[in-house]
Amino acid sequence: MNPIKKIFELLEYDFSDAGKFAKLGPLFDATKTFFFLPSPKNKMGPFIRDHLDLKRYMSFVIISLLPVLFFGMYNTGYQSGLARGETLEFWASFLSGAWVVMPIIIVSYGVGFFWEILFAAIRRHPISEGFLVTGLLFPLTLPPTIPLWQVALGISFGVVIGKEIFGGTGRNILNPALTARAFVFFSYPVTMSGNVWVAGADAVDGITGATALAVNAEGGTSLFSTLSDQGFSLSNLFFGFVPGSIGETSALCCLIGAVFLMVTRIGNYRIILGGIAGLIITAILFYFLPGTKGTWADAGPLYHLCAGGFLFGISFMATDPVSAPGTNPGRWIFGFLIGFLTVILRVANPAFAEGVMLAILFMNVFAPLLDHLVMKHRISKRIPNV
Amino acid sequence: MGDLLSLFINSVFIGNILLAYFLGICSFIAVSKTIETATGLGFAVVFVLTVTSPVNWLIYHGLLAPGALAWAGYPGLDLSFLKFITFIAVIAAIVQAVEMVIDRYSPLLYASLGVFLPLIAVNCAILGTSLFMVERNHTFIESVVFGAGSGTGWMLAIVSMAAIRKKVRYADVPAGLDGFGFVMIIAGLMAMTFMMFSGITL
Repeated sequence: MNPIKKIFELLEYDFSDAGKFAKLGPLFDATKTFFFLPSPKNKMGPFIRDHLDLKRYMSFVIISLLPVLFFGMYNTGYQSGLARGETLEFWASFLSGAWVVMPIIIVSYGVGFFWEILFAAIRRHPISEGFLVTGLLFPLTLPPTIPLWQVALGISFGVVIGKEIFGGTGRNILNPALTARAFVFFSYPVTMSGNVWVAGADAVDGITGATALAVNAEGGTSLFSTLSDQGFSLSNLFFGFVPGSIGETSALCCLIGAVFLMVTRIGNYRIILGGIAGLIITAILFYFLPGTKGTWADAGPLYHLCAGGFLFGISFMATDPVSAPGTNPGRWIFGFLIGFLTVILRVANPAFAEGVMLAILFMNVFAPLLDHLVMKHRISKRIPNV
Repeated sequence: MGDLLSLFINSVFIGNILLAYFLGICSFIAVSKTIETATGLGFAVVFVLTVTSPVNWLIYHGLLAPGALAWAGYPGLDLSFLKFITFIAVIAAIVQAVEMVIDRYSPLLYASLGVFLPLIAVNCAILGTSLFMVERNHTFIESVVFGAGSGTGWMLAIVSMAAIRKKVRYADVPAGLDGFGFVMIIAGLMAMTFMMFSGITL
């Protein structure tokens, strides 16, 4: 017999309702289903077409995040090397980046799971796999220089207020990872916005500079030449060799993840394509607006697509099945408006250079209303039942 | 025209009377249980605001403002300390009139709004809009647009809140928070997302 299975069977009684660790029952269940399939199986029909449960759903999102995660580690090390004036080779960059990124992820998972287990034990609901995704998405949206206590505070807010108050995964209205990021963003703007973050650039304090989205050309030069002077050429933005939040810099890796999610039908393609269409159309409209030379209004769709965290947000955050609309026309509108609002915020709001996080949260608020309107429209199209 | 449009957008999104200034919270929490009543109350608030804001403008600039009574021979008179009580009286009177008109011409809407229609009179968003309108020195046309914009913003917030409450009907809320406490937390989260407009200047 499998030795791991033996351990679980040995412990099963202690964690059951009659056992001494009854409170920790959900933790036991979660660990057990991590190793083994749940035992109750249907012996007779009807059978479901595909065994796509929440656990597989969430592990696919984790897989789609791996390119972004590994590139983020590499780029963090690479950028901190550049800031010190040396070009590190691949493994040196990757390891020094992982040295910075791993503690953030560990704190996020550790603190988040603490709340998850606490709520599961007290409120007697099973531990949900949804947190595996939240706990990884949240660190990827953070700058590598963020203090670890802010990571802990942010993920606590995201898990408790964003999700557990509502009764756990599947019932929340906002994306928990984005709720956590918005909380940190508004509470500690100094560490979260305005400047570029490069880890370990100096023993005393990191170097600062403008992010790509905060760059504005002066004196009639074009935005593109100013951008590429500062290292933000279009190819750098596309491949991601620019400073920024851990996971957002590489448009390419985000696209790989997005395609994976769309092919496996975990992420709804309507949201992703709708969002990209919204961004491109709005960016083109602003491009033809007169009198905007040298600002981000003049940047055109390609730069808007590759710079900042738009592709990361629309691929991994907006496609969250819980907080997005459930109707197909609603999903198109939802995605389109996220793209639209992202460009509006980048162009019109001097307070926040990047708008995709807040655009997604804002549309999360209106997702139930979109669903309601779509359903009402459908009902009005029915042939009267007389 | 562009100024009026940006004032309208400003009062709907950036300075949302409910989620940026937190006025009118009481009926926002109490009447957002179903989308239909929320929409009905939203339209009533839009209408009342669009009417009371310019009427209060006329009264303030015609009678109450410092020096407004110059035409009657009292150029030094400053009655602006009366604006609170005057505005409230005007609002209550207009709400009563609206109520009678609705009752006469659309008994169905009257019945579905029920007690909430007279409650508009004590909705702080209405008084707040009139006071903001005085404080920000709007012109007459601007006061109409500002009233309509504030009402639309309020309606947007309450309708989306009603839709959210429909979605969280099956949420498993901790016992101590169930009910209004939970709704207040949702309202706080909504207000946080509306902060994305803070900083935009139109």
